[in-house]
Amino acid sequence: MQLSHMHTPYSRRDFLRLGGFAVGGVSLPRLLASSVGKSDVSCLVYFHTGGLCQHDSFDPKPAAPREVRGGFGTIPTTVPGVRFSELLPRCAKNFDRFAVVRSMYSLEAIHEKAKQYAFSGQRPNNAYKHPVYGSVVARERGARNGLPPFVVIPRKDICADPGFLGSAYAPFITGDPNKERFSVQDLTLPTGLGLEEARGRAALLSKLDSRLEALEKSGVVGSMDHFYQKALDLVRSPEAKRAFDIGAEPESLRDAYGRTTGGQGALLARRLIEAGVRLVTVFHGGYDTHSDNDATNKKLYPEFDQAFSTLLEDMDSRGLLDTTLVLAIGEFGRTPEINHSAGRDHWPGVFSIAVAGAGVPGGQVIGASDAMGAEPVDRPVSIEDLGATIYRKLGIDTHTEYHALGRPIRINDGGEPIRELFG
Amino acid sequence: MGSYACSVRGYALTLLIGGVAAGVGSASSVSLEPADIHLQSPGQTQRFLVAGGSNCEATSADPSVVRVDAQTLVARASGRARIDVDCAEGATEATVVVGESAATVRIGFERDLLSILTTKGCNSSACHGSPAGQNGFKLSLYGSDPRADYEMILDGHGGRRVTLDTPTDSLLLAKPAFRVAHGGGQLMTDESDEYGTILEWLRQGAPYGSAGTRLERLDLHPSERVLEAPGSRQSIVVIGRLSDGTTRDMTDEVRYSVIDEAVIELDGPGAVVAKDPGMTTLMARAMGKAATAQFIVIDADGEDALEAPEPANLIDEHVFAKLRRVRIAPFPVSDDRTFLRRVFLDAAGVLPTPDETRLFLSSADPAKREALIDRLLERPEYATHWLVKFEDWFRNSQYYSQGRTNGSFKRWLHDSIREDWAYDDTVRAMLTAEGDTTVRPAGNFWHPAIDFMLKTFEVEKAVPTITRLFLGQRLECAQCHNHPLENLTQDDFYGLAAFLARTRVKHGYGQYRRVWYEDRRGEIEHPVTQETVPPRFLDGELAEIPSGTSRRAVLADWITETQELQFARATVNRVWYEYFRRGIVEPFDDFRSTNRPSHPELLDALARYFIDSGFRFKALHRLILNSKTYQLAAHTEDRPGGENLLEDALFARYVPRKLPAEVLLDAISEVTGVPEAFRNYPPDTSPKELIASIGATYFLTTFGHPRRDIMGARNNDPSLSQALQMMNGDVLASRVQAEGFVLDELLNQGLGDKKIVTALYERAFARVPDDEERRALAEYLANERDAGRDRRQALANALWAILNTKEFQMNL
Repeated sequence: MQLSHMHTPYSRRDFLRLGGFAVGGVSLPRLLASSVGKSDVSCLVYFHTGGLCQHDSFDPKPAAPREVRGGFGTIPTTVPGVRFSELLPRCAKNFDRFAVVRSMYSLEAIHEKAKQYAFSGQRPNNAYKHPVYGSVVARERGARNGLPPFVVIPRKDICADPGFLGSAYAPFITGDPNKERFSVQDLTLPTGLGLEEARGRAALLSKLDSRLEALEKSGVVGSMDHFYQKALDLVRSPEAKRAFDIGAEPESLRDAYGRTTGGQGALLARRLIEAGVRLVTVFHGGYDTHSDNDATNKKLYPEFDQAFSTLLEDMDSRGLLDTTLVLAIGEFGRTPEINHSAGRDHWPGVFSIAVAGAGVPGGQVIGASDAMGAEPVDRPVSIEDLGATIYRKLGIDTHTEYHALGRPIRINDGGEPIRELFG
Repeated sequence: MGSYACSVRGYALTLLIGGVAAGVGSASSVSLEPADIHLQSPGQTQRFLVAGGSNCEATSADPSVVRVDAQTLVARASGRARIDVDCAEGATEATVVVGESAATVRIGFERDLLSILTTKGCNSSACHGSPAGQNGFKLSLYGSDPRADYEMILDGHGGRRVTLDTPTDSLLLAKPAFRVAHGGGQLMTDESDEYGTILEWLRQGAPYGSAGTRLERLDLHPSERVLEAPGSRQSIVVIGRLSDGTTRDMTDEVRYSVIDEAVIELDGPGAVVAKDPGMTTLMARAMGKAATAQFIVIDADGEDALEAPEPANLIDEHVFAKLRRVRIAPFPVSDDRTFLRRVFLDAAGVLPTPDETRLFLSSADPAKREALIDRLLERPEYATHWLVKFEDWFRNSQYYSQGRTNGSFKRWLHDSIREDWAYDDTVRAMLTAEGDTTVRPAGNFWHPAIDFMLKTFEVEKAVPTITRLFLGQRLECAQCHNHPLENLTQDDFYGLAAFLARTRVKHGYGQYRRVWYEDRRGEIEHPVTQETVPPRFLDGELAEIPSGTSRRAVLADWITETQELQFARATVNRVWYEYFRRGIVEPFDDFRSTNRPSHPELLDALARYFIDSGFRFKALHRLILNSKTYQLAAHTEDRPGGENLLEDALFARYVPRKLPAEVLLDAISEVTGVPEAFRNYPPDTSPKELIASIGATYFLTTFGHPRRDIMGARNNDPSLSQALQMMNGDVLASRVQAEGFVLDELLNQGLGDKKIVTALYERAFARVPDDEERRALAEYLANERDAGRDRRQALANALWAILNTKEFQMNL
C-alpha cells in the first residue's frame, strides 16, 4: 500500500538518505520527527462500550410514558432547569465542569461499525479502513517525553485500529489497572532478571546486530531499530515507569475513582496524560443492555458517575483540564422503548455525550432530542462534527489528507466543529 | 490551441529532427508517435515524436494536405498525406488524415459533472448530500437523482449558482475554488482538470445530456522512457481520440502531474526534464480521461557494460534486460547458506535444521538448488505455509462464520495446495459453490459477504472481493461513484452484481451452519436509475445465461476463460508479491490503466507460463525459486542494500523482510526446542494450523496475524509492541528459561561455551558466527562469569540476544 502525506515536510532526499520507505505507513523520518506544534492539547476518551442510554444518563424524559422513561427518576444539576438521571448525582454536581450534547446521532447500528465510526469520525466503508483518532494524532503529533502517543486501557478493541496508517500508529495497550497485580504488558523485565544483567544482554544484542546494520540500509531494518530503541527507552525510563505505576497513587484517591475498570482506568489515563501521552482511551464495557436494562444500569452508571466526576475534579485541581479535552462517548444510544426482555436495544437515532476541558464552557446543554429521546429536534450533531471538534481542539487541520490506496483520503469528511464548545 | 513556442523554420518541407532522447539500448525499430493521426480540419496541428531513431528527417509526400513544420504536422487541406521518416537506424511511414470541419467536445451534466460532484465529496452525506443539504444547497446523495441535482444547480439560489454570461462568476466554480467563502473549504484550484471541465460545461451552455462528440481516450507519448540524470530533456505529446474518430493535439490542454517530482519535472506543457535517478509516472488528465507515461531516470555516470549472472529462465531475461537499460548491475547470486535459509523460509515457512544445512552445504551437485526446491515443494510444510497466505487472500475468519466451518474450508484449501489443483478449477469451484458449507467447504468463500448482523448475503461486498482477488481490480469505489480516471462506472459495478442477484444463504441447524443456493428469481436494481440491471461483464458485454446454468457459473467462466490472461496476471502478481514484497503491478491487486507494471512483458510471460502449466502453483513457484533474480544477494560486503530505491523497485536484489507472525513463532520454537502450547489444541500445534482466528495469541496479533475483516495485504510493519514483546515478552522469556530443551541438551553433552554458541547460531541462522560475533559472545560470557552469575543463565541470555537480532527475525 502506498501511503504518502500530502504536505510532508521531508524531501525525497531524506527518505533516500535514511533509507526510508513510505510503504504501509512506516516512514522513518516521520517516526523520528520531534513533536512540534502550536497546540499541546491532549485528549482523554472515556468510552461507554455498548452505548450509553440517553434516558438513564444526560437526557432523561420524565414526562414520557413508563416504557420510554424507564425506571429511574431525575435530579437537578448545578444549572437551573437542566436535569440528569438520578443515576448520575455526582455528574449533576459537577455539571459546571462539562457540557452535554443531547443531539448526537450516528448512522450505524452494529457495534463494530458504529464504534469504528465513532472512533474515526469516518463512516466505515468496504474500500478501506480509516485510522481512529488516536492513530491520526500519533502520526500528526508524534511522541512526547518518550511515551507512546496513543494508549488504550484496558485491552485491545477493534475500534482502536490504525487502519491504513499501519501498525506503527497502533495504540499501546496497558491491560486492566483494576487487577490486583497490574503491570503493563511487556514493559517490565521478566521476573528474576536484574537490571545490570538486562543491560549486559542488550549490549550483546547491539553488537550482534551491527553486522546486518552495516550491510542493510533499507527502511524495515531502520524502523525495527527505531522501535527497539523506543522500547529500551520506555523500559529504562523512570518517568515512563512512573506514568504506568498506578500503585503510586494514594489509596484514598484510588478509592475515590472507584475500584472498577472504569475508575482505575480513568485514574491511569490521568497519570498518562500528565506524563505526556497525547490520546488515552478508557474502554468501559457492559452498556449493551438488551435485557434487564434497569438492573444493569443501577450498578453500572454509578461506576461511571464516580469515575468521571472524580476524574474531572482531580484533573481540575491539577490544572490538567485546561490542556486536556475530556470526552465521555459511546457508539450510539439505546432504544426509546423498553423491549420485552426489559432491555433497550441499539439506537443510533440520538444519544448524549459529555465534553469537558480544553476551553469547553461547562454547564451548557447543546441540542435537544424529542419527547421520546428518539431523534434530534434541535441542532443535530453528526459523528463527523464530533471528529472535526476533536481535531480542532488538538490543533490538527481537519482538511489534512492522506494519500492511500491510490486516492486522497481526508481525515474528516466535512464535519463542522461544534461551535458552542469553543467558548 | 495554446501558444506552443516551436522554432518555425520557414516553409522547408524537409527538416532535421531530433529522435526521442537517450533511449539507452532501446529497440532499433523506428516509429512515428502518435500513430493514427486524424486531424479534424485544415488549420489544425499535431505535434509528433520519432521513437527509436536519431538524426531523423520527416517529409510529407503531399505538403498541400499536411505540412511538416519542425516537430509539428500542420493540416492545410482535407485529404490524406503520407509522412516518411528517415533515421540513421531505419525508416518508417505513417498516413495522416485531415477532415473537413472541427467538432466540439461536448460535456454533459449527467456523465461529467456528477462524477466531479461525487469524487469531490460535494454530494456526500456530510456535505450537500445530507437530507437537509448544506446552506440551502441540497444534492441527492452520491448523485442518486441527477435531474433534481441539475435543476437545483441551474435554477436554485436565484440562478446565481450558474451565470452563463460570465461563467467564472458562477457560484458553482467560485465556491469550491474558494474565491468566496465555502463551508467545505477549497476543493479545487483554477488549474485543476475538474475546474476546467466545469468551466467548459458552462461555456457550452450547461446542457444536461452529452450528445455530440466526446473525448474517448487520451494517449501520452512516449509511454516509457529512460533519461539520464540530471538535465536530459524529453518532448512529450498528448493526443486526444474523439468519439467521431478524429484526433486532436491536446498537449497544451491537459493537466499534468508527476507522481515523484524528485525524478522528473515539467518543462512547459510539451516536455519533461530529468532530475534525480528513480522511476516515476507522468499523468495527463483532461475531461475525466487520463493517460500515463513511465520515466526512469538513471545515473549518467553509470556504466554501460554491467555484469549480470547468466539468466536461468525467462524471469532473469526480463529483469536483467531492464536493469541493463537503467545501468544497474544485479547483486551477485547469494551464497549457499543464505539461499538455504531463505528458500526454506519463503517456500515452506520453516528454518533448515543443522543436519539439513550440513547436508546441503557438503553436496557438490551443481543442480543441488534445483533439487532442494523440488524437495521443499513436496514437503507438508510447503502446503501449510501457503495455506496461511490463501486464508489471508480468501479471508477465512471466525469473524464471518463463528469458526464452525472455517476448519472445513481450511482443509479444502490445504488439499488444493498440497495436491496442486489447477487454480482455475479451484476458483470455479468457489464461485459456483452451493450447499452446506460443513460438507461442501468451497462455499465458505462467500462468507465475508454475509452481513454480520442481518445474516444476509450482501452483493455489494462480494463484487469487489471477486474483482480484486481474481482480476486484480479494485471496484469498491465504483459502488458509489464512477471512477474519476478509469473506465469503471457504477453501471459496471451493478452489471457484475447482477450475476449474484440470485445467490442466497440460509442458516440451518443452529446459527453456525450456512447453506448456499441459487434462487430462481431475483434482480439487482441500479441505485441511481432504479432500473433492473441485467448481468453485464466488465467489458460492457451483456451476458447470455443459457437455461439450466446459474448466473454465477457464467461469471466463473468469464473470469477463468474469457478473462484468462488477466486472471493469470492477477494471480502470478500475487505470488510474485509474496516472494519479492512488491508486485510487478504495485499494489499487487490494483491493476489500472494509470498504475503501470514495472515489467509488463515479464508479467505477461509469467501469466502465460502459469496458463500453460495448467494453472499449477508448483510450476510457478519452481520457476520463481529457480530464477537468479530470486536467488540474488540482498547485499554484499562492498555493496550495502537499500541505498538505491530503484534497485528494489526493479528487483536488482532480494529485499529483506520481517518473518510473518506464524513463521517467526515457529522459528523461535524450533531454535529453542520449546513448542507453543495453544489453548484447546494439542501440543506441537503450529500457529499455522490454528483454525481461523481461534486461539490467536497476543504474540501472533502483535506481529501481524490479521483479523481478515477487510481485503488487502497483511500488515507486516515493525512496531513498538513487537519490540517490547521480543525484549520482555513471555514467549521468549519462558523459552530461554525453560529447562530440558535445546539449551540443556547442549549443556548436558558437556560442550564448551564456544561450541554451544556455534550450535545455536547454526539453528538460528544456518551459519556459524563470524570472528566479531564470536568475540562479542565470548566477552559477554566472560563478563557474566566474572560478575559471578550463573553459566546457564548467561547462555540463556545469549540465546535471548540471538533471537532478538534483526537477522533472526528477518528473511535475508
